[in-house]
Amino acid sequence: MANPLLADTPGEIHLLLGNEAIVRGAVEAGIQVVTCYPGTPSSEVPDTFYRLSPEGKYYFEYSVNEKVAMEVASGATVSGAMTLCTMKHVGVNVAADPLLTLCYVGAPGGLILLSADDPGCHSSQNEQDNRIYARLAGMPVLEPASAQEAKNMARDGLLLSKKHGAPLLLRTTTRVNHLRGPVEFGPAPDPGKPEGFKRNPSKFVPIPAFARPMHLALMERMEALREEAEQSPYNTVSGQGDLGIVCSGISRAYVADALDNAGLAAKVSVLNLGFSNPLPERLCLDFLKSASKVLVVEELEPVVENELRVLAQKNGVEIEILGKDTLPRYGEFNVTMVENAIRELVGEEVLPACDCEMPELPTRPPNLCAGCPHRGTYYAARKVFGDDALYSSDIGCYTLGLLPPLKTADFLICMGSSISAGGGASKVNDKPVVAFIGDSTFFHSGLTGIANAVFNSHDVLVVVLDNRTTAMTGHQPHPGVDKTVIGENDHPLDIESAVRGLGVTEIRNVNPFNQKKTVAAFEELKEMKGVRVLIAKEPCPLYARRVYKKVSPQVAYVADTCNGRFECLDHLACPAMYKEGGKAAVNPILCNGCMLCLQVCGHIKAKKRGS
Amino acid sequence: MSDTKKVRIFMTGVGGQGTLTATTLLAKTALSQGLPVTSGEIHGMAQRGGVVESTVLIGCASPKIGTGEADILVGFEPMETMRALPYLKPGGLVLSSTEFLPPLSVAMGQQECPTIDDIRKAVSACTDKVYFMASQSIGLKAGAVQAGNIAMLAALCAAGELPFGPEALAETIKANLPEKIQAVNLKALELGVKALEA
Repeated sequence: MANPLLADTPGEIHLLLGNEAIVRGAVEAGIQVVTCYPGTPSSEVPDTFYRLSPEGKYYFEYSVNEKVAMEVASGATVSGAMTLCTMKHVGVNVAADPLLTLCYVGAPGGLILLSADDPGCHSSQNEQDNRIYARLAGMPVLEPASAQEAKNMARDGLLLSKKHGAPLLLRTTTRVNHLRGPVEFGPAPDPGKPEGFKRNPSKFVPIPAFARPMHLALMERMEALREEAEQSPYNTVSGQGDLGIVCSGISRAYVADALDNAGLAAKVSVLNLGFSNPLPERLCLDFLKSASKVLVVEELEPVVENELRVLAQKNGVEIEILGKDTLPRYGEFNVTMVENAIRELVGEEVLPACDCEMPELPTRPPNLCAGCPHRGTYYAARKVFGDDALYSSDIGCYTLGLLPPLKTADFLICMGSSISAGGGASKVNDKPVVAFIGDSTFFHSGLTGIANAVFNSHDVLVVVLDNRTTAMTGHQPHPGVDKTVIGENDHPLDIESAVRGLGVTEIRNVNPFNQKKTVAAFEELKEMKGVRVLIAKEPCPLYARRVYKKVSPQVAYVADTCNGRFECLDHLACPAMYKEGGKAAVNPILCNGCMLCLQVCGHIKAKKRGS
Repeated sequence: MSDTKKVRIFMTGVGGQGTLTATTLLAKTALSQGLPVTSGEIHGMAQRGGVVESTVLIGCASPKIGTGEADILVGFEPMETMRALPYLKPGGLVLSSTEFLPPLSVAMGQQECPTIDDIRKAVSACTDKVYFMASQSIGLKAGAVQAGNIAMLAALCAAGELPFGPEALAETIKANLPEKIQAVNLKALELGVKALEA
């Protein structure tokens, strides 16, 4: 039986995650090619396509990084294939180079870039608002607020993109990606074969002579799309009243609930912008003229707000426009926050703040899992370097090495920066620099960093934390893996050969659970200069259990001889360990049997699991 | 949408407890009753022992619950119940487990957890509609520790604040969970309803 997401079953209703709804929308449009680099909160879109790929009628790949994903997608769409490219907001920075020029070249087959933004930094290093990229690149933008819209906008966006040959931004935020709601399916016809490439250098090769007219064509295309936005069913006006609210994205849901709660639905007029770029100027101008005052409700940057101010000024409309002076420019909104902003504007009493007195509670910060091999690597590094080294960290689970007692992250910028920023730091500090990078991140953007470090004679010890998967975002495959949930990797790349090929001569391989050898390798490399690489290889235990069906036959336990010095807890901070009656103890359910603690304290022993 | 009585349920627990499975089952139950439902979840790094927060909202457009907005707070771990109290609407319903999963700082002896009495007191200061239950023990009694979450959902359905009862949840379990774990979860459902009455 076909998976419900692929089946041609119009009229059925399923409860879907926003990200699954996007998959269904793409299938309904006739998606032919999907490329991505995983990243929370976008990951369930490609992961669902991947899982369904054996029965789907599309080509799917996990690309090595977002730039490559965008470029593969570009080649597909210029060849007439309907294409989806997915990433998280910071991924668009990586893909920005091909993206901005692809908007000149165009997308004959149709192309959506899904950018999953993360207001509130639930799982990201910044809050950047990628609607601004759309203005910079010249892309139409759809912003869903429900699972149903996520599905419909993915479908309609792809069809609109194909109609105009315009790459389109589907801009979601964490709440939309990770909400669940009912989705009514439409038909899912067979997409057939892509049309194929039609040679036309003046259209597809942006040398300066061709790029200049391409830019003009892009601007004309955006004017045609503005007309689409004027007519779009995703842009609606509802209610009536002197106060006007303009909202986009998930803020539309907050506004709807806020008006409902406050009983103001009939006293306020609302302009909902689901198709928010290019701005439907006639629609907006009529709205501005109908209101005495306008509040713009949009998370993060004042993008629509500023465009409305420009529109009003150009057209001589004198109206007070409020936005970021009333609602914050950072983080997420919620219903009460929006409701109070509206109440204040209409002169109603605001809701009281929560007065629940809350004592300080112990925090529950995320921690490296029990049995995580990175703990072994970090423990050894700290033993050898202590606080004397600068630890340059990177993006992945292993960033959690930041926390005490391991404390192995001193600075972090972006994917791949451990090596290059570490190299920069090595040029201006006397301390040794140790850079940590995961295996997926290494293939994403560590290779160029190594080449740069070798070429420029940086003095950096690079530790590749190779846990055989992209652990952070949900165990997606990357070029180095040998096995995945749906089969073997036909062309596994070897990290050591890659590093050697890039000119590194001092390379050591260790299993981080062998402390003696890992410490010895760190000590040896510490004495050297230049670019040295330590590859610490051991699979992520969660992944090993799922994919290799590997579970350690043993677990650790603390012998009665424990003298309560707690070196195990104080130095490893393994979540399977705890204090009990003045002694250390191991929770056998959480213990993954890595046996690192046995090497830290002689009072910890191994026993057969379940005994 | 506005003719459906709005119910906002905030759920919280610790990564690995099955909080998200419980959330989805409850949302599916609401959908099976023809109710407009939205749910949300935040689980960036939850697999690594962090806090998991999720929501089920009936009759609302938003998937998010802000402070003071929840009609119902379900805490699958007592300290997380206490941490989430600011989300509760004054006088809302609280359903909480009594069994702690201490965070690392507590396991290491660097910080102390509040006692269950502290937690009862804090909850009582916000509302008098409170049910506590030993959900993990109930889960184990039913046959699997994770089924404790289903016991709590069952108690929630039986508490009379939702537009459906535990029978609707039983139907969702039968329709959505793999056959081999249905019996355990149906048993947990039964025990959960009993725990509420006790």
